[in-house]
Amino acid sequence: MEDTIYELMEQAQDLPGGAAKLAILEEAVRLADTSGLKELAYEIRGEIVDCAIFNGYPLKSLIAFSWQLGQFDQNPEEYDADELLWNYKWILGKVCSFSNISKTQIEDLAEDMRRRYAEYGYNERPYYYYKFRIAMDMGELDEARRYLDTFRSVERDSMSDCEACEQSQMVRFYYLTGEDEQALAVAKPILSGRMKCAEVPHVTLSQVLLPLYRQGEVDEAKENHRKGYRLIRDERDFLKTIAEHIEYLAIADPIQGIEVVERHLHMALDYESGLEQMYFYATMVSLLQKLDTSGEKRLIRLPASLEWAREDRTLTEIIAYFRPLAESAAADFDRRNGNTFYSDWIGKIVQTA
Amino acid sequence: MSQTDEYRFQVNLGGMIDILANHLYSSPRVFIREVLQNATDAITARKELRKVAAESNVLQEDKALEDTASESNDYEGKVIVELSGSGEHQVLMIQDNGIGLSEEDIHRFLSIIGQSSKKGADLLASETSFIGRFGIGLLSCFMVSDEIVVLTRSVKEGISMEWRGKPDGTYTIRRLETELPVGTQIYLRCKPGSEFYYEPAQVEESLFYYGALLPYPVMLSVDGETKRVNLPSTSWMQDPDQLRSRRSEVLDLGYRLMGERFSDFIPLRTTSGRTGGIAFILPRSVNLNSKRLHRVYLKHMLVSDKAENVLPEWAFFIKSLIWTDELQPTASREYFYENEQLDDVRSELGTCIREELLRMAQYEPDRLQHWIRLHELSMKALAVEDDEFLRIMYRWFSFESTFGRRELKELIQEADGRPLHYTSTVDEYRQITHVAAAQSMLVINGGYIYDSDILEKLHWIDPNLQTERLSPEEVSLSFTGLTQEERESYYGVLRVMDAALQPMRCRAELKRFEPVSLPVLYTISQDALTLRSMENTVEETTSLFSNVLDSLKAGVQQNSGYSTLYFNLNNPVVARILEATDTQMVTAATEMMYVNALMMGHYPMNRSELGLMNRSVLHFINWGLGNGQNA
Repeated sequence: MEDTIYELMEQAQDLPGGAAKLAILEEAVRLADTSGLKELAYEIRGEIVDCAIFNGYPLKSLIAFSWQLGQFDQNPEEYDADELLWNYKWILGKVCSFSNISKTQIEDLAEDMRRRYAEYGYNERPYYYYKFRIAMDMGELDEARRYLDTFRSVERDSMSDCEACEQSQMVRFYYLTGEDEQALAVAKPILSGRMKCAEVPHVTLSQVLLPLYRQGEVDEAKENHRKGYRLIRDERDFLKTIAEHIEYLAIADPIQGIEVVERHLHMALDYESGLEQMYFYATMVSLLQKLDTSGEKRLIRLPASLEWAREDRTLTEIIAYFRPLAESAAADFDRRNGNTFYSDWIGKIVQTA
Repeated sequence: MSQTDEYRFQVNLGGMIDILANHLYSSPRVFIREVLQNATDAITARKELRKVAAESNVLQEDKALEDTASESNDYEGKVIVELSGSGEHQVLMIQDNGIGLSEEDIHRFLSIIGQSSKKGADLLASETSFIGRFGIGLLSCFMVSDEIVVLTRSVKEGISMEWRGKPDGTYTIRRLETELPVGTQIYLRCKPGSEFYYEPAQVEESLFYYGALLPYPVMLSVDGETKRVNLPSTSWMQDPDQLRSRRSEVLDLGYRLMGERFSDFIPLRTTSGRTGGIAFILPRSVNLNSKRLHRVYLKHMLVSDKAENVLPEWAFFIKSLIWTDELQPTASREYFYENEQLDDVRSELGTCIREELLRMAQYEPDRLQHWIRLHELSMKALAVEDDEFLRIMYRWFSFESTFGRRELKELIQEADGRPLHYTSTVDEYRQITHVAAAQSMLVINGGYIYDSDILEKLHWIDPNLQTERLSPEEVSLSFTGLTQEERESYYGVLRVMDAALQPMRCRAELKRFEPVSLPVLYTISQDALTLRSMENTVEETTSLFSNVLDSLKAGVQQNSGYSTLYFNLNNPVVARILEATDTQMVTAATEMMYVNALMMGHYPMNRSELGLMNRSVLHFINWGLGNGQNA
């Protein structure tokens, strides 16, 4: 049995990150579980956490990580603590995307991470930085502003996110508050290429488009859209970033946006977490409305995996189908967060019927 | 009447050279690239000058040319590299008949060296003027020589100059009495420890490596023997299509330049003609994650043999030789700047490859089939992106199916107008494959990367090609249902079975299906599968996380539905269970069948399922022993 498991792991290694690789890793983990090979199951789950987080399967990642954490607590000297603590941050970055996870649970998770970091001698910069990110995820921008100052006052240690990531989150903050000038100023070292990592500038390029466009830098916005979209167009993990591109195209170039919507809708349909899905549906609706009111008689290709799809669905029908989905998801998140942030946002980008 | 002046760099040249040697250049051997680049730039500059002069109908060079009568009006560039001496007294001389340097030029390039110390390694990327490049390129020679001597005569001035520089920053400039030919000669004396870089074989290899495509002779002269190092003719670079009729020559070239034996290639050319190339098809399967390393020549000089982004990503079955005069390399020279121009070039080159594949599909299907078999994955990737490509290629793609691994065109024939059924994951396929196979029902495994994407897109390219995604729950459709009579007689026992399975969120169904030996079939949807793994994880994790997972389960539960356990009426054991009248017995047997199905499907069991198995096993032992006593 162990040979089969190793064979599967080897197969997985040769595949690019994505559904196929995850399917094989899950098969391997099932075999390891049924054979009672705990350590091997732990190792494979580490691969799953990694592969799932970076390829747009946050739920799979969360499940695998939960299992690892349970094993680790029973047997801490058996496993690598640093790797687990590092991955804890990824999980915290995703938990807000599920409206079923309560505010209290999210706070408990953050405190749990804080406690574990302290236990292993790491400082509180990641804790405050993730409190900053969580506050943004929950639409609590005033709270986020407070944490923004707090996390930067603690010096970096080896558990801190990289500089480029932290910078990109600051850009995101000003993007959310609509402080365009600050957003562009903070984005400078990223746009110049000085700060970069595996996810930067990818997540930042989409967040300077509207600020640039609003400041009249139309050509620069267009160039950054081209650059940014090219980086992420095949990446399921960047569904929210793709939605930000659609949000910009709805204003700058709706016709060009059709292709982007068609290309990625299938990802949104079976996306594991509601927040990213809501972003996509909402920006898609805003773009289709632009086309619909301009009298554009276009057919949108809908993916075959959507049962409701027929080739002759009109723009109006598609809007009517997806808009309630976006709005009810936003209401769920608002209820969980205790504010009206997401409904307000949808109200802004979607035309009222 | 010669006059020598001492000057001094205003920079720490030692530091500069260190920067160059250790940070900018990957190996000292790049000094060959730099001196060759200087020679090439000088020849290009002279050509430009002549062109301008010819256009204005005043050949200013005439005066200068009187001295070198060997030169006719149709000027051709030439580079000669000469090796002499041995061991520590080895000297490498490189001579070009380019534009040459005037006294003013020399002072200018020296001042540029002065500025460049402030800019550091960025200079090579930013400085594009001939003089600037000359200065910096020359410094790289200090990696292999403790003195650089430059003899030069400018086509514009006609004064012969000598410049001697040392790594400590001192240099001399003087006018020479002798008349040099127009152009530049650079002398390098081997520095102790650098002998390797002066070996004729090394020099020859480097010259070929960097300058194989230079459009004029590059000669190497050793011990009085002179031979041409670069390719004798590169006229085909204007029109790569000519290469089709020179297969063996091109494949040889591929071997010499890329170090690999290819058996097939595709000529590339953009419409402007400013970028062209040869796309060699890799004769081996490539791992999807492997780097695509292309070899790129910029203005005839090698820029990189590791360029990754000149072809579209889907072209990973290609290793190409590209020449261009329109792309901008980055400082490291291993990539090109991602700009609109690169975008255009990349998509044009991609179009060349695509069109060739389409041509093959039409005229040489065997050749195409051979390559598809080798590179199916990348071709499928391309087909997902590109409807046109899919339209031509889909027939040759192969898929795993219950009829074996077959090409799509055969599968379409087999389906005979009926929709093609496929599963969207490998797991789903495995769940139903033995049932479908036993009933000779055609099901395609769409779980491998790109496969279901392709199947989903088929009806976009041909409305007659209907595909249907099959989920394991739907396989039951192909089972034989029960007669009304059977339905009624088994109603009671089915209720008992359902009740037994309810705690596991599973329901029972009675069907008749092949193979007879299979008593039950367990089917579970993707969402239900996720739910299972959550439930199993809840048992293993910390209380905090099990809380979180419990909350999440609510969301998944809504759409996951129940799993289904199909009982096969054709199976004798199942038939006996159904005849049983003892409710406890039916319950225990159902539970046994359930855990058995889980074990067969390699589903890890959670605590309650394991408990269930224990209970049922004990139950059966008891019952068996009891029966034995009664007999």
